[in-house]
Amino acid sequence: MNQFVLQYGKSVELLLFPHILELGMKKNGSIQPDSFPVTTAEGLRIYHITEGRFEWHINQQLYVFYPGDVALIMPGIALGAENNILAIGSYIWIQVTVQKLDNGHIQPGEWSALSDAEATAIGKILCLNNLPALSRFSEVCNIIKSIYTELIGMEVAYQTRINQHIDELLIQVARKVTRQTRSPRDFPQAFTDLEVLLRQDLSHQWTVEEMAGLVGMGTTLFTEKVKSYSGFSPISYLINIRISEAIRLLKRTDVTVTDIALDTGFYSSQHFSTTFKKLTGYRPSEFRKNHLRNIK
Amino acid sequence: MNCIITVELGTYGIWVFVYDLDGNVIGSMKGRYPTFHAQPDYSEQDPEQIFITTLYVLKNILNEYVHPRKYKVASICFCGSMHSVLAVDMKGNPLGHAITWADNRAKQEAQELRNSTMGRKLYEETGTPIHPMSPLVKIAWIRDRDEERFKLTSKFLSIKSYIIHQLTGEYMIDYSIASATGLLNIHKVDWEDDALAYSGITAEQLVPVVPVFAAVGKLKKAYQQSLGLQPDTKILIGSSDGCLATLGDGIMKGEQKASITIEDSGAVRVIGPTVLKDKQMRFFNYLLTDNFYISGGPTNNGGNIFEWFTRHFGEFISQFDMEQSMQKLLEEAANVSPGSDGLLFMPYLLGERAPIWNANARGAYFGLNINHERKHFIRATIEGILYEIYSIGKALGEHRSIESLSVNGSFGTIPFCSQLIADIFNKPVQVRQQFHSVSFGAYLLSATEMGIYKSLDDVSTKPAEFSNVFKPNRQHHGIYADYFRIFEKLTTKLSDEFEAIGNLQQKYAHPSKIHINEKP
Repeated sequence: MNQFVLQYGKSVELLLFPHILELGMKKNGSIQPDSFPVTTAEGLRIYHITEGRFEWHINQQLYVFYPGDVALIMPGIALGAENNILAIGSYIWIQVTVQKLDNGHIQPGEWSALSDAEATAIGKILCLNNLPALSRFSEVCNIIKSIYTELIGMEVAYQTRINQHIDELLIQVARKVTRQTRSPRDFPQAFTDLEVLLRQDLSHQWTVEEMAGLVGMGTTLFTEKVKSYSGFSPISYLINIRISEAIRLLKRTDVTVTDIALDTGFYSSQHFSTTFKKLTGYRPSEFRKNHLRNIK
Repeated sequence: MNCIITVELGTYGIWVFVYDLDGNVIGSMKGRYPTFHAQPDYSEQDPEQIFITTLYVLKNILNEYVHPRKYKVASICFCGSMHSVLAVDMKGNPLGHAITWADNRAKQEAQELRNSTMGRKLYEETGTPIHPMSPLVKIAWIRDRDEERFKLTSKFLSIKSYIIHQLTGEYMIDYSIASATGLLNIHKVDWEDDALAYSGITAEQLVPVVPVFAAVGKLKKAYQQSLGLQPDTKILIGSSDGCLATLGDGIMKGEQKASITIEDSGAVRVIGPTVLKDKQMRFFNYLLTDNFYISGGPTNNGGNIFEWFTRHFGEFISQFDMEQSMQKLLEEAANVSPGSDGLLFMPYLLGERAPIWNANARGAYFGLNINHERKHFIRATIEGILYEIYSIGKALGEHRSIESLSVNGSFGTIPFCSQLIADIFNKPVQVRQQFHSVSFGAYLLSATEMGIYKSLDDVSTKPAEFSNVFKPNRQHHGIYADYFRIFEKLTTKLSDEFEAIGNLQQKYAHPSKIHINEKP
């Protein structure tokens, strides 16, 4: 395959694909000054190295890439080479737009056939793990090549096929990130990591699918594992974390009960109040009053 | 019909049992809470999460086993893990998470104190070995390195004291947990002035010490209602997991028997009317009652080491299925002859407490030859863990004569391990299947408090037919005894090298995330 670069807005091939910002293959045979300056991009960039050895700075950290490795650059993150010089070698890459959510997470756009829950899970996996270097990952190369072939071939239903390929790419990358982050042999560790993530974003309306996705498991197996490991269903376990945090906040007087409800992930102060009372016997406001009275 | 509930606030979670008055289990439920490691040496738990988990599991077990069958709850007896520290402010609000027994942040303080005259004196007065686990040194650490928290602290509690305070509004600590703080004089049963001075606190910053049978007042009204319990439900303060495991195991005062617990970590314990006075400061002496001491030694390296081995060298057929691959490893280990054909394993992956008390100790395989295969490593790993248990038992034997053993805990009660313990110790080993010693010990406390037993001297255990007895194989014992001599020598001989490698491991430690994915 020869070198090519397609860019949305410039290349007619991408007219129907506003979410594919860039697609290309680069073969670099000589050292040139300023051949790889620092760039940031609004889309998610995925590079697969096919030949050579590249030393790239991603978000100011140095990573070394060898053939078969993948560089994963999140939207808005800087990518550059040592001394701005592109080393000899070749790579293939794609840049796709993703929606940015309020909490900083990303989600694929409407072109994607992924369900909302699965898309959120993938977005979370990519954002929370912050893993820009994925090793031995040639599936990425094949998928990008297939997208290119479809773009050029324009056979029947190529539009659908290309969007499927991008979904496939995101799924593969998310799975690889999960596998590379944690051992599939250590459920306790995976569960502890999950708990830390839940606590970092307690106001998010977590679904079981998302939680399962973060551990890299299907929903059914995940629910079964959590139940036997923790004694709780995933949702009950999550509610316990929410209530624990709520108790901590109720003991401080500078946060309103409504704020506590929303901060700890309840739909409303009514939902918070009912859940809290069911478990503790107190309404949140009673709990606070009671606690303050006990001090005096 | 009356029933007794026991609540164990353990290292990994809460375990609640319902017993009838004869000690038969009506039902049990578990709920897990996590341990956070914000830094490598830190082990912390969220006190509010423990509290909510306690309420949740209590509520579920009452609704499933107690209320539908019209049982009346006579008492709820609490059991806690030892050595935890939770600082609370004047309002009783936690200042940060609770620091658990496994926390090592005060290792430097502990080492300095252990090697001093004051350290020896405090050990003799308090019965708690000088070690980072001890609240004594943890509080000193907070004083020196977390001044803000120290200044705001009104009281230093144990996790159990905090949970009981949440439920009843009363601050109390029982003999057993108090005697594991390193701050209690176990001979006078009062806070020890020298220890308080070392930690830089006053007795008012600790809570009143009460016997393990003490009732702690009533459940708050809201909890009576949400749990559906009567106002006269007794809340018993109870004891510690270590003391109750020994009591529940049916070890009687004066009997020549030791109790071995091997869960993730392990311990060998004896009960007696007096403390063990050990010149090398190897053993703890914790209080159960005024005339019952639980003495023994803990190890860091138990079932968790076999889990480590399984995780890295076991075969995983399906994702996350640890149990299945452990089972396969055990089958392979059984096909190797005792002594693993001369392959020895030193299990000190997590440093070691008793009997060597060396945080720098590290693991090693020794004696490898060209004929050793994977299966030898499996068996050697298990044998190494149990040699270490034996080295504690052997040292205890210098103080008490031990004629038989009782084994509990998930790793120790694997039949393959129980038989190995019998062979290595050359003593009969008693194991009760499907039996949870800690909770049963808590039941025995409650039943004694109710007058079902006259005293703890009088408690009878469940009938003998429930027991499996593993008899030692003399021939195997001879082999293990020969190898153990080398094991023991290596442990002492390698002391300098343990320290040297420990230092290098720290010096060249990788940051938790490695940023260059360099390939060979």
